[in-house]
Amino acid sequence: MKAKNLLYPKYLTYPAILVFGVFFILPVAAAFILSFYDWNIDRLLTPKFIGFENFKYIFGDEYFILSARNTLVYAIITSFMKILLGLALAVVLNMQLRGRNILRTIFYLPAALSYIVVGLVFSSIFRMDGMFNNMLAGIGLAGLQTDWLGNGTTALYCACVAEIWKWSGFTMAIFIAGLQSISSDYYESARIDGASSLQQFIKITLPLLKPAISVNVTIAIIGGLKVFDSVFVMTGGGPGFASQVLNTYVYKAFGEGTLGRSSAMGIMLFIAIFIISSISNNLTRRGVE
Amino acid sequence: MNQAFLRKLHKILIEIIMWVISLVVLIPLLIVLFGSLKSAPEAAHFNIIPPLEWHFENYIHVIKTGGLINAAKNSILITFFSIALIILVSVMCSFIIARRTGRYSSIIYNIFLMGMIAPMQLITTFGLLKVLNLMGTYSGVILIFSATQIPWAVFMLTSFMKTIPREMDEAAFIDGAGPIKMVFVIIMPLLKPVIATTIVILSMSVWNDLMIPLFFLNSSSKWTMPLTVYNFFGQYFSNWNYVFADLVLTALPVVILYLFFQRYVIAGMTAGAVKG
Repeated sequence: MKAKNLLYPKYLTYPAILVFGVFFILPVAAAFILSFYDWNIDRLLTPKFIGFENFKYIFGDEYFILSARNTLVYAIITSFMKILLGLALAVVLNMQLRGRNILRTIFYLPAALSYIVVGLVFSSIFRMDGMFNNMLAGIGLAGLQTDWLGNGTTALYCACVAEIWKWSGFTMAIFIAGLQSISSDYYESARIDGASSLQQFIKITLPLLKPAISVNVTIAIIGGLKVFDSVFVMTGGGPGFASQVLNTYVYKAFGEGTLGRSSAMGIMLFIAIFIISSISNNLTRRGVE
Repeated sequence: MNQAFLRKLHKILIEIIMWVISLVVLIPLLIVLFGSLKSAPEAAHFNIIPPLEWHFENYIHVIKTGGLINAAKNSILITFFSIALIILVSVMCSFIIARRTGRYSSIIYNIFLMGMIAPMQLITTFGLLKVLNLMGTYSGVILIFSATQIPWAVFMLTSFMKTIPREMDEAAFIDGAGPIKMVFVIIMPLLKPVIATTIVILSMSVWNDLMIPLFFLNSSSKWTMPLTVYNFFGQYFSNWNYVFADLVLTALPVVILYLFFQRYVIAGMTAGAVKG
């Protein structure tokens, strides 16, 4: 066994480890350390140790708390909707429909677009004079019209809509791959036993789709917590701080040059992602054989 | 007979409903496409009525005044070199991970897996580039893109590499090929399909990315395609026809890539996800 490894020397892994180590792991490690320092843009090379001050500061900062809350809301809403819509699309587009390949192509297409495209289209849709308000007027709900992006209570949800629109087709594709791995024998025998379509879905499809659900939930939650692009493009975190999420708030703090504090925020996001993704992984994998 | 007819009707009905639902995807795209060919006041209606007059010259204006030729060059340069570097180092690395027995390869593999979940630390990455004198340079951005995407490439390539029989390596070894020659001359040609998939998906994510060029390229002369739209926000706040034309030009290369290689794109992205 050992002798065989001679054919496969470790040094071939070094270039990948070097690039990844220096430009990804090193900044992560440095952020853990520098979040305990008074570090800013003017004293880039002379940070000063201040213990937990940065963390005390950010937890006393109402905008940081708001950003953290918004990030969580964004991740939960978008994950839930991506799973729901993706599952519905997958179940229908797994049937023998004539246009199903073209339909799959269309529903997946937004996943290939840049957030700049998706974000700006939805910005135009949610403008005061945009399509959404026109639609509301068209169905006699003109009273509900508002400047959706300029309104603090709705801005974040507009970014959620763009995110859901972009990724539901991707979620669908993973569910379709999952559905195709379920043997049709199960459905045959269920039909012989007289099970309805709904019973078949609940008793056969959902349990056997658990691995795909688990993967989708994990990807969606991690993606949601890492949100930057959609919020940056559509609201810039505004109006005021109403739709600020962690990454856009870090960007803002970065612009102000308070690097130690911004690193502490980055570290909090890092920890949150690891905790939440391992919880979701454990919950959704339970019962997967 | 009657039953069969009903079932057929049911199917046709579902098909029609799905086409109607697909409008949710298509309408926003039509707003952009039609909007890019309208006059400025007409584009500001943000509807899906086709243009009264087709203003193809919008595109010429955008290309000339938005520095799009330069941005396209930047995007192509950054995308090309990032992917070349990612593929080069990831092929070598995943070969060893797939083949070596023992703890070393599983440790490396798990570190890369964590790299797929962990968010990058923007502030200290900025500090690092500053210290290395790479801030605001193409090389800096290429290295950051590579570092963030290598885990994903290693993951894709490793799972495919495991399906290639070891006998190939042993035959090559007996013929006197060293490890490097083995990877690039014997193994790499067998990886063609998965490398192609990886290249397509990586090009899309590098081309589309906003955050990395925004943070690490401070001069607008180095901006990539997705950022050029901000040229039109500053100067022509109300000229949405130019904004839309810029968006079409930004999205076009990626959409073409997707439509041509969609089978590989979807298979690759879902396989990458499902095996995780």
